[in-house]
Amino acid sequence: MSPLSLALWTPLACLFVLLALPSSQKTAIKLWANISAVLGLLTMLPLITGYDRSNGGFQFVERAEWIPSLGIQYYIGIDGISLLLMVLTAVTAVVATLSSWEAIQDRLKQYYAMLLLLQVGMLGVFASLDFILFYVFWELVLVPMYFLIGVWGGPRKLYAAIKFFLYTLAGSVLMLLGILTLYSQHWTQFGTPTFEIDALLRLTMPFWMQQWVFWALFIGFAIKVPMFPFHTWLPDAHTEAPTAGSVILAAVLLKMGTYGFLRFSLPLLPQASMDRTIVQVVVGLSLIGILYGALVCLMQQDWKRLVAYSSVSHLGFCTLGIFSLNPNGIAGSVIQQLNHGISTGMLFLIVGVVYERRHTREISEYGGLAHRMPLFATVFAFAVLSSAGLPLLNGFVGEFTILQGAFEANRWWAAMAVPGVVIGAAYLLWLYQRTTLGQITNAKNNHLADLSWRELAVFAPFILWAFSIGLYPKPYFEIIERPVARIVERVRPGYYQDRPPSPALAQAPHAAPHTAQGGAR
Amino acid sequence: MLVNFTPPSASEYIRVLPEILLTVGGTILMIAEGLAGERHRRGLAPMALAFLLLALGGAVVAGMDPGPAFNNMLTVDGYATFFRLLVLIVGILSVLISGSYLTRENADSADYYALILFSLCGQSILASANELIMVFIGLEISSIATYVLAGFLRNDKRNNEAAIKYFLLGSFATAFLLYGVGWIYGVTGTTNLQEIHRFLTSSESVYSPLLVSACAAMMFVGFAFKVSAAPFQGWAPDVYQGAPAPVSAFMTAAPKAAAFAVFLRVYSIAFSGLTERWQPILWVSAMATMVIGNFAALRQDNIKRMLAYSSVAHAGYVMVAVVAHSEAGVAAAMFYLASYAFMNLGAFAIVTHYVGKGERYVGIDDMAGYARQQPLIAALFTWFLLSLIGVPLTGGFFGKFYVFKSAIDSNLIWLTVLGLLNSAVAAYYYLRIIVVMYFHEPTNETGAAGPVPAGVRLALIGSAIGVFVLGVMPSAVLEFANRSAMLSR
Amino acid sequence: MLDTIFFYVFALLTIGGAIATITRRSAMHSALSLIVSLLGVAGLYLLQKAEFLFAVQIVLYIGGIMVLFLFVIMLVNLDQAAKERQFNRQWLLGLVASVLVGAQMVWMLNSAGVLSLPAAVPAPAATGPGNIEALADLLFREYLLPFEVASLLLLVAIVGSVMMAKKTS
Repeated sequence: MSPLSLALWTPLACLFVLLALPSSQKTAIKLWANISAVLGLLTMLPLITGYDRSNGGFQFVERAEWIPSLGIQYYIGIDGISLLLMVLTAVTAVVATLSSWEAIQDRLKQYYAMLLLLQVGMLGVFASLDFILFYVFWELVLVPMYFLIGVWGGPRKLYAAIKFFLYTLAGSVLMLLGILTLYSQHWTQFGTPTFEIDALLRLTMPFWMQQWVFWALFIGFAIKVPMFPFHTWLPDAHTEAPTAGSVILAAVLLKMGTYGFLRFSLPLLPQASMDRTIVQVVVGLSLIGILYGALVCLMQQDWKRLVAYSSVSHLGFCTLGIFSLNPNGIAGSVIQQLNHGISTGMLFLIVGVVYERRHTREISEYGGLAHRMPLFATVFAFAVLSSAGLPLLNGFVGEFTILQGAFEANRWWAAMAVPGVVIGAAYLLWLYQRTTLGQITNAKNNHLADLSWRELAVFAPFILWAFSIGLYPKPYFEIIERPVARIVERVRPGYYQDRPPSPALAQAPHAAPHTAQGGAR
Repeated sequence: MLVNFTPPSASEYIRVLPEILLTVGGTILMIAEGLAGERHRRGLAPMALAFLLLALGGAVVAGMDPGPAFNNMLTVDGYATFFRLLVLIVGILSVLISGSYLTRENADSADYYALILFSLCGQSILASANELIMVFIGLEISSIATYVLAGFLRNDKRNNEAAIKYFLLGSFATAFLLYGVGWIYGVTGTTNLQEIHRFLTSSESVYSPLLVSACAAMMFVGFAFKVSAAPFQGWAPDVYQGAPAPVSAFMTAAPKAAAFAVFLRVYSIAFSGLTERWQPILWVSAMATMVIGNFAALRQDNIKRMLAYSSVAHAGYVMVAVVAHSEAGVAAAMFYLASYAFMNLGAFAIVTHYVGKGERYVGIDDMAGYARQQPLIAALFTWFLLSLIGVPLTGGFFGKFYVFKSAIDSNLIWLTVLGLLNSAVAAYYYLRIIVVMYFHEPTNETGAAGPVPAGVRLALIGSAIGVFVLGVMPSAVLEFANRSAMLSR
Repeated sequence: MLDTIFFYVFALLTIGGAIATITRRSAMHSALSLIVSLLGVAGLYLLQKAEFLFAVQIVLYIGGIMVLFLFVIMLVNLDQAAKERQFNRQWLLGLVASVLVGAQMVWMLNSAGVLSLPAAVPAPAATGPGNIEALADLLFREYLLPFEVASLLLLVAIVGSVMMAKKTS
């Protein structure tokens, strides 16, 4: 069994052990769930250490027949992009599991089972190299998430859960249509049934068909991201999900959409992805998403909803980066996906902390929390600054590189995205001010306990990671350099001929910290 | 003439082994009841099961020596064997869930099982029929038995309504079919499918294509009624809702599968030369079936009625495969019907148990909090419902996948788009049940939360395994379907 | 010529009888009209030189089945039923539908040239084995299986009707 398969199936094995535990043993269940999450993280180590940065192709490849007559295979492998997202998944799983220790008291066993199942699905999405395998995992994610929201969610959980399920399902059936078209094309052109990505890359499709397939896949991915105007499920799902659910949803699930663009839309449909109209539409939607999401955040009364809408804005940056179609934009987008996972994950955890204490999410109910919860205020500050893109922290690196890429593609895009950064800083700092600074205005907040050791431990991985990316992003850029170059080369053949052999990519990691220090001074 | 007469050979008898076993079994059951008397009614279901298992074995044996039988009246090929096995498995699962239901309703009787066996015999004939007369007789045997089964609890008004509605409309539809058969005989001078095909495609024969289309259209009325395809789906919700729950389970799976089997065979053999004439009509029918089934199911509060509309919708998906008119389409329809049989029987098995005496708890809301009372059963129900939605790793997913793949291969892009969107809409009403089971608190007035009878449990396990196998390891079934989908013309 | 006249007479009997069957209020009148209609069909068989069918039609349908019908009608008090609410209110819709379908069929038959065939070509006089013998040949050889399986159909029908008639416990 390759390390990749091990990483993929460990959560499932842990799930079976979990199911064998008696429901009455609550502590044992909780302990085992946390051990499983850590085990899941440990299985990432061989992938990280064994990953060859100089190789742009897929590594740890494993292949087995699944349904030969349809050409469906168990075909997995990762490149740098998937590696980063898988590690993000594993870390998020640890955080989410630990954060549920006290928050979840009801139907524990099912809860942790759903978390583990979710983990399998997410890892599978990032590891699959067969389109149907990908689709299977993609849909597999839907079910546990649906239950997480529906059973353990907030007051309007039913509505949110169904909306989440139906939106995503509607998108994915259209995606299936795209997949089937690709398959059918391969069948006509080569006479063999297959869904593997490498084989589908060989297709030569007329432009109109590429366009159709592009839009079919686009809707599936865009709903997941979510891009404006497909984002309406997100605030509800995020707001009503339990804290761990929101964290996972923000940190990983949304990335499945952007990952889909990178892994499938761009390489498989290069002409369509290059097409001026398509790029303009997608970039336009991204820009609208950035600004709209940010503006809506300014008006939110609900703490969690605010964080949810901030995702729309941040993910807008990611899609903007991808469709800048140059190394900077795409690399920045990948880094930003990672960053968004970390910082928004933290923000949701923050909401979870106060919600556990006060059972309300109204921003106006809070104020002056720093007086009673200094530790909390510090952590919250980190989260806010990381999300707002303060230099030295992770958020800055991603956004800056994306803006570089956008600028290279079209300076107006960059110009229009910049206000998003500014408003982003504004609503986050304002949120911080309203809830944490000032005097305690609400007597109910007088006796709130500060963060416990467990809660600190929940935040620790994200804080450390945020710092490490912010201070030294080079290794991350190195990991994704080759895979990104492959995508760019595929979409814009000859891109690198007009430019120095090791293009902007090499500068980016240096440029970012450099400016970072400049900014800090 | 007399000199040339050769009696049917032994292998020809073996090819109708399942039919023989089913007929004998049904007859013995009825006699046995009279001999054994009231006290031994408990033994009836196991006895029926034994005959069904024998017939299953018979179908396997018959399938090992494929070929025509009785002057080409029947042809036992892989396709026939596939459907014979399918309907027999459905029969077994239905009998498993019937025992406790009949005892609860105080209606234990050998007639019930005998009728199921006879009905299966008709369906088994349909699966292998190669001749329009056999099609008609098989269809009638299957239908008359199900008419009676639908009204089996005679003290129940809904049962009576279901039976009479099904009987009247069904007879009318079969009359259309028969009329179509008559006309086609008038045009071609034969009722044998291959010969019809030969006549219609031969350059020497003189006939009016319009007249043949009229025959195809009239036969479509009969078939569409039996598979509950629009615009002849109107009876389905009333009948499936009104009939006893295990009978509904049986009707939505076995007769439908058999009717599709013969529908596909007739259209892809006899009328394959007229594709461009019937394809547009079936296209519209498939689309309408999906839309009507799914959108009507959205508004139902009665769980049986909802499953009835869902059954109409699923017939629509199979119709998509019929419209595709290719070997891949035939194989897709076969696979779909198999996976539908399992997931639907599983769902109905739970409903059968849940509704309680006199089918009191048929509202979806009656299932409130079921997950707390019976976590395992609720989980199984969820599994079946997810399969009905078409979530991957269930049989329903590969069924839909395969159907839409065949449609894309036949360039039916818009039908595929509509079908896929429909399957997303359908998710809503299946999810509703899950919502009620898991997210609602149990009320005082909930259905039979008591222990699940052994028969139902067995059927549940069987269906769950079926859905799992077709969803995770579909290769074997898929390849069998692929190999059998080539119907000899 | 004579054949043609007979054809129209029998056809008129068939159709007229059928219309009367569904329009009479009294069940008894309906049943009697049905006998007329079936007689007409029997006559048409005879015109086609299908003596066996002609005989079967008379013996089985009129002699057997219709007499049973009449028994049932006389035993069961159907006058009661006649006074109850009828469900055939949509007769106008039904009429339109049947006229439409009928017109379609006529149009299709016409397109096939079936309607413009020279009227009533007398069937060739049977040579060789007679009508009944030929039928037996077909039934017991080529159509052996359907012939046998039809008995199962009858069995199922009998079981069904017995069940319907059985006293409820």
